[in-house]
Amino acid sequence: MPRRLYADPGLPDRVFRGVARGGGGLVLAVMLLVGGFLLYRAWQALSRAGWSFLTTEAWEPDAGRFGIAAVLVGTVLIALVAIVVAVPLAVGGALYISEYAPPRLRQTLIGVVDLMAAVPSVVYGLWGLFFFEGQILPTARWIATYLSWIPIFEVAGADPNDPLAPETVYTSSTLIAGVVVALMVAPIACSVMREVFSQAPVGEREGAFALGATRWGMISSVVLPFGKGGMIGGTMLGLGRALGETIGVYLIISPVFEIQWHVLQSGSSSVAALIALRYGEASEFGMSALMAAGFALFLMTLVVNFAASSIVARSRSGAASE
Amino acid sequence: MRPATVSRLALAVASLLCALLAFHAPAAQAASFTKISGAGSTWSSNALDQWRRNVASNSGMTVNYAALGSSVGREQFKNGTADFAVSEIPYGLTEAGATDAPPKRGYAYMPIVAGGTAFMYNLKIGGKKVTNLRLSGEVVTKIFTGKITMWNHPEIRADNPGLNLPAARVIPVVRSDGSGTTAQLTTWMSKQHPALWNDYCGRAGRSTPCGMTSYFPVVPGSSHIAKSGSLGVSGFTKQGHAEGAITYVEYSYAITTGFPVAKMLNASGYYVEPTASSVAVALLKARINEDKNSPNYLTQILDNVYRSADRRTYTLSSYSYMIIPTKAEQPFTTAKGKTLGTFANYFLCDGQQQAEELGYSPLPRNLVQAGFAQVRKIPGAPAGSTDIAKCRNPTFSADGSNTLANNAPYPKACDKRGPTQCADGTAGAKEKTPVKPGATGGGSGGGTGGASTGGGSGGGSAGTGGGAATGGAASGGDTAGTAGTEGSTAGAAAGGAIDPDTGELISDGGTGGDTSVVGNPVTLAAGESGGLRGVLMALSAVLLLGVVVGPPLTARALAARNRRKEGF
Repeated sequence: MPRRLYADPGLPDRVFRGVARGGGGLVLAVMLLVGGFLLYRAWQALSRAGWSFLTTEAWEPDAGRFGIAAVLVGTVLIALVAIVVAVPLAVGGALYISEYAPPRLRQTLIGVVDLMAAVPSVVYGLWGLFFFEGQILPTARWIATYLSWIPIFEVAGADPNDPLAPETVYTSSTLIAGVVVALMVAPIACSVMREVFSQAPVGEREGAFALGATRWGMISSVVLPFGKGGMIGGTMLGLGRALGETIGVYLIISPVFEIQWHVLQSGSSSVAALIALRYGEASEFGMSALMAAGFALFLMTLVVNFAASSIVARSRSGAASE
Repeated sequence: MRPATVSRLALAVASLLCALLAFHAPAAQAASFTKISGAGSTWSSNALDQWRRNVASNSGMTVNYAALGSSVGREQFKNGTADFAVSEIPYGLTEAGATDAPPKRGYAYMPIVAGGTAFMYNLKIGGKKVTNLRLSGEVVTKIFTGKITMWNHPEIRADNPGLNLPAARVIPVVRSDGSGTTAQLTTWMSKQHPALWNDYCGRAGRSTPCGMTSYFPVVPGSSHIAKSGSLGVSGFTKQGHAEGAITYVEYSYAITTGFPVAKMLNASGYYVEPTASSVAVALLKARINEDKNSPNYLTQILDNVYRSADRRTYTLSSYSYMIIPTKAEQPFTTAKGKTLGTFANYFLCDGQQQAEELGYSPLPRNLVQAGFAQVRKIPGAPAGSTDIAKCRNPTFSADGSNTLANNAPYPKACDKRGPTQCADGTAGAKEKTPVKPGATGGGSGGGTGGASTGGGSGGGSAGTGGGAATGGAASGGDTAGTAGTEGSTAGAAAGGAIDPDTGELISDGGTGGDTSVVGNPVTLAAGESGGLRGVLMALSAVLLLGVVVGPPLTARALAARNRRKEGF
């Protein structure tokens, strides 16, 4: 029988381990409590609506007709638009800052990007509502005119052959909300990615240069494979924020309670904006229904984040360039 | 230090503090008022905000008010998170099968101000803002129920004989939150146009008959835009890209936004703007619940207002109410009651004087009196009655009749339903909108009509077809449109068929002449310019590709040539 190895970790180690474990456990406990609280408050509505909660598109809790089919789809669409716009911006920005920018400019750019991440979302929302919406309408119209054969770019009621037709059909759309959310998400994703890119090992970079790689060759063979985990992580962090973005979306969209695939058409919806819009005037049961919507959003963000962390774990971030 | 010393010291400090507090508390209370907070209607918030500012500067009273919509106000009052609420509709109304239960705390209604729910719009003809639009009740209902979708619909044209309405989409802008303004509009629609309204409700998936709703039901896929709050809808409507939008807000929002409102057709066939006096005239017919024991004491029934035969009536007039606590229950205290009572006494009396300039209408004498009686129900409200004769309220008179309504001007002849239309602007946009020469109603408009009709002949032939979106005369429409607008400056050129006796036009074509507003709304077809645009887009795409791909390719080619040279 082999002797069991035993090393006394010592008091400081044991204390540290306890604190670390306690901290980790506390985070889990808080998350479970949030979920539990939401479920508890949502139970009244969920038990009355049953499975129809997932398939109903309307939101009239007091009349008994409510469900998250439309708002959940709207949330996902806005988040997807945001990610599609934000990720190329973030990757490009991060690569430029970490690889191309002259050192003096680099510090300034880092500061600017971090500042952008710190701007409150209501500021982005107001900017989007009063300035950006008017500016993006011609673009939305252009897309609708030339790409409306793609189903999601269809706009009901728009006549591309009529140059004087009002652009109102393109306002308050998923696209506009998505782009505004993208501007909130991009700086966060950009900082995460920049951090990872700048950690790409110097030895391997210089090795690539020594083998005659151009700068782009070095980036594509060293920095990007090394930073893959960070890119996915940054994207998912952005997606998490995009799913939960409230006030920016609330200000811009015109809420509709139907599944609305057409991203250019006015009318969209999101769970967080729905809660912001209705919580003040909700009756007790209406509040429970809103909690149920919040619970669904909570579960969805959890799934997204777990998926992200498993991808990151599998991609062996930081060691991918062996 | 010994423990005994410490405790003695602590005791001394504590007693000193107590003494200070005891000495200061009454003095402070006498000089200032406890802060109160309310929530509710955005309809009447422009008036409340002005009154709050006044009492803050006059007596240092802090009254917080969150304009989040009537539904939020009633809910917060019910939950005890607001000291008072402001709402256009009372508790206890049933919407979509659910009754809005009254609060368990003691409450009463008190009218605060009157006003008109106005239809603010953003419409341009030939690039110039229209300020004199007129609409009948049925047309308004059809617009908000999605039956009329184009501005050049025959029924809108019938209301506006003087305007060449464009073939633009009507964008109804509605409230996305629970709103008393929506409730006012839907009550009116359900009473006056029940068939249209119930049909719409059914299409929106509500059970019919629909009755009053605080949430405007939106049919999926319609062109309705829903925004939160009166500021939200008026802010959307005023933007340049919201051309063709029409929304419902209190008249004051149109004034502060600088936009016109539609004159509404009343029962006696006149189109009327919701000014203070036309609202006052209309509300003479309001039936007020006068049963002091009813929980709905002082609330309004507006059926007779909608049907009022006075030709100065604005049909969508109503009162707004404050919901006040009548018991000192948490969170309400008598100290707060003193603030609320003083505030209410101020706005029921002197505050009414400002109602008109803010875009509201002052309360009549009987409601001010009843309001004072309600104020006395607030626990802690200042005792003693206010001398009502000293209130500078423009509706008061010696004999008790409503001065404002008595002196209300009668609508002009051109506002009567028929072939004429006034050019005067409305609400926040007072500039005139020129009308077709035929619709000026003689007199004033005759001169302008005669002088500038000439240029219209060019615009006429193609322009009349402009109403249909894709006229066959696409290129013709283009030039004709220019001719039509330029015609206003070059109007002296003889042309067009003018009746020599009246100076009025005989041929339809002449309508292109007067000014840009009367210029026919010509709709351009993109067909021909589309080819050029396509070429330009392709060219720019090629250029972009060249800029991106060109340099590396050139560099590579140059490098290869250099290598070859070196190799030799």
